[in-house]
Amino acid sequence: MSNDRVIVGSFAGAFGVRGETRIKSFCADPAAIADYTPLYTEDGRSFTTVVLTGQAKGALIARVDGIVTKEDADALKGVNLFADRSHLPNLPDDEYYHADLIGLEVVDTGGTVLGHVKSVQNHGAADLLEIHGPGLKTTVLLPFTLAAVPTVDLAAGRIIADPPDGLF
Amino acid sequence: MARSVWKGPFVDAYVLKKAEAVRESGKNEVIKIWSRRSTILPQFVGLTFAVYNGQKHIPVNVTEDMIGQKFGEYSPTRTYYGHAADKKAKRK
Repeated sequence: MSNDRVIVGSFAGAFGVRGETRIKSFCADPAAIADYTPLYTEDGRSFTTVVLTGQAKGALIARVDGIVTKEDADALKGVNLFADRSHLPNLPDDEYYHADLIGLEVVDTGGTVLGHVKSVQNHGAADLLEIHGPGLKTTVLLPFTLAAVPTVDLAAGRIIADPPDGLF
Repeated sequence: MARSVWKGPFVDAYVLKKAEAVRESGKNEVIKIWSRRSTILPQFVGLTFAVYNGQKHIPVNVTEDMIGQKFGEYSPTRTYYGHAADKKAKRK
């Protein structure tokens, strides 16, 4: 699987007997999955059209090209769907996709490596970068603020952090 | 049943003390607290608290719209990672 693809959903089985399929969307707006076509599976199969026809419990109902029968839909159950990173809309300044931030190296203002971004979390206050470092027993959560993270250099794959005292 | 108004909001004394000390020092410092039950007061706005969730301290930047809520509300005890997909983070 190419690194410039992000997982956006997965097949969850058939819906009815007329070739409709249930799709679990991992997107912030679940219906946005249909905007990111073509979607790919891990083995390279692609689906160019995804037409959402309704909602079921915990999933979207969709008609997908290449899936004609209930058996086709059932065969794909559990298969993950990926979209090209380039198909995601551009974001304004100071807004980043989680997928872009995860894996970036975090260095402090002195150039010392603090670790790598493991995940991005939000518990209701502000976004937090979960940093996993070589010298850390557990992961550390760093507030994703202008004060604590003055520079995000996606091209260089690096975040410069100025963590508040007592965090690391 | 709601708390009586005459009592005022509940805050553990050590939280007030620590917050006051950091505000006076003017340092960019995280205030480690274990008191999830303490109410967020207006004088905490702008400070960063690290609220214990039973395992580790979760940083919480206090903003105006958090006033009146409890610290524990911003420090969940269970973590669900999910998929990154098209989710966005905004640097404030």
